[in-house]
Amino acid sequence: MIRLHHVGKTFGAGPAKHTALADITFGIDKGEFVVLNGPSGAGKTTLLRLLYRDEVPTEGDVEVAGFDVPALSRRRIPRLRRSIGIVFQDAKLLAGRTVFENIAFVLRVIGTPRKEVTPRAFTALKAVGLSARAQAYPAQLSQGEAQRASLARAIAKSPQLLLADEPTGNLDEEMADEILDVIEDIWQRGTTVLLATHQAALAEQLKRRTLTMRQGRLLKDEG
Amino acid sequence: MLGFLAGEAARDLRRAGRVGLSAILLITLSLAALGCFWLLSLNLGRAVEQWRERVRVVAYLREEPRGAGVDDLLARVQALDGVQRVRFVSRAEALSSLKRSLGAQASVVDQLPRNPLPASLEVTPTPEAATPDGTRELVQRLSAMSEVDEVQGGAEWVESLAQWQRLFQLTGLGVGAVLALAAILTVTTATTLVLHARRDEMEIMRLVGATEAVIRLPLLLQGMTQGLLGAALALAALVAAHAVFAPRLEPLLTLTLGLARSVFLSPAQMALLLAGGAMLGAFGGLLAKGRAYS
Repeated sequence: MIRLHHVGKTFGAGPAKHTALADITFGIDKGEFVVLNGPSGAGKTTLLRLLYRDEVPTEGDVEVAGFDVPALSRRRIPRLRRSIGIVFQDAKLLAGRTVFENIAFVLRVIGTPRKEVTPRAFTALKAVGLSARAQAYPAQLSQGEAQRASLARAIAKSPQLLLADEPTGNLDEEMADEILDVIEDIWQRGTTVLLATHQAALAEQLKRRTLTMRQGRLLKDEG
Repeated sequence: MLGFLAGEAARDLRRAGRVGLSAILLITLSLAALGCFWLLSLNLGRAVEQWRERVRVVAYLREEPRGAGVDDLLARVQALDGVQRVRFVSRAEALSSLKRSLGAQASVVDQLPRNPLPASLEVTPTPEAATPDGTRELVQRLSAMSEVDEVQGGAEWVESLAQWQRLFQLTGLGVGAVLALAAILTVTTATTLVLHARRDEMEIMRLVGATEAVIRLPLLLQGMTQGLLGAALALAALVAAHAVFAPRLEPLLTLTLGLARSVFLSPAQMALLLAGGAMLGAFGGLLAKGRAYS
């Protein structure tokens, strides 16, 4: 599903040059659940951004779901992104739309036929246990509910891969557990998951394969 | 998908608020001004055409030809370049025509010892020759004929009417262009405001894999809708103004230009005005910054 080969990423030039990633090589097979762990500034977010082509590596190869990501033309980037569900620390819900509309909006903009939008949105809401809050606006949701809505939006388009960047970062322990349960459910339905977190305890709690990063380098690949 | 994008465009239009409304009003103003000058030019153009058809050159003859001489003369004049029709007016016909035009004072003519009027040829130039240069050349050709004593007539005043028509056309285009430019800039501002309001939406669209066309099409549709609404309002204003003012102005038109009634834009011209509005709006929408994958 994911293959990185000697990937490096630098920002700036001269004295302002900053190496965000250096010589990263790993692979994730289809159906795996992998945790990407490391402190803030370790390069986790930059690495995720390379996977959905929000950034281009300075060196090395990146392959995701069969796409040679750095070589993708602008016109083909949407195809890659349709195969990936992305969840962020802040849920990034659209404030002026209800939970249902947030999901339906995403389905419509990627060209889902109108008659399929409602059933698919409700299936996704059911999967994250949020059917009852479909008509609520983001401001009316708790942080945990907002993150579950964000997960529902990510999985509504049936992605092959789910990238979760600190999905529990803003949540208390109880809400974080709820979100992790939902992500486990999504994984068990066949979606490959790459979850980035700075919380070492959370990585241990999940008992999954864990990639540990420090200062832009991959230190360990365990589990 | 198109229905969804149109819905998003309508949502964007509501978001644009007062700036969006200003853009619509500016488009209305620019197209109404353009339409006004278009109507004036259209009616003046009709007058010019009508008067071109009425241009006559009269060649007065030294002596009245008789019998076959008339047919021979008519045939020779008809063969000249720039002649559409030619009619022989005998001295007797000229006199009775004068009597008719004098009306109640016609008896004055009877006091004359003899008919003082010469026979003449009334020449109608072809539409191409009904210009100042064309009629001047025709006058020269007729003057060169030995039977002809004097030639009168020309198309100078028709040409000055045509010059007025061109002036209206140019003024209309100038005023319309300035206002259209202002309208485009306002649509661009309205669309840019919407782009700012849509930043979050565009980011989500980009992340989930929407194509650039899907991201930008609502902006284009928003601009086109503004343009179309502005054009429809301008057209409605023109229809109303024509309905109110045309009946009051028609007597003046008849007196000065000889037009029995004024005309309004044809359905094709109205469609062109609406399409022009939509294009103005679309152009403004396209100018707004915000490439999806910049």
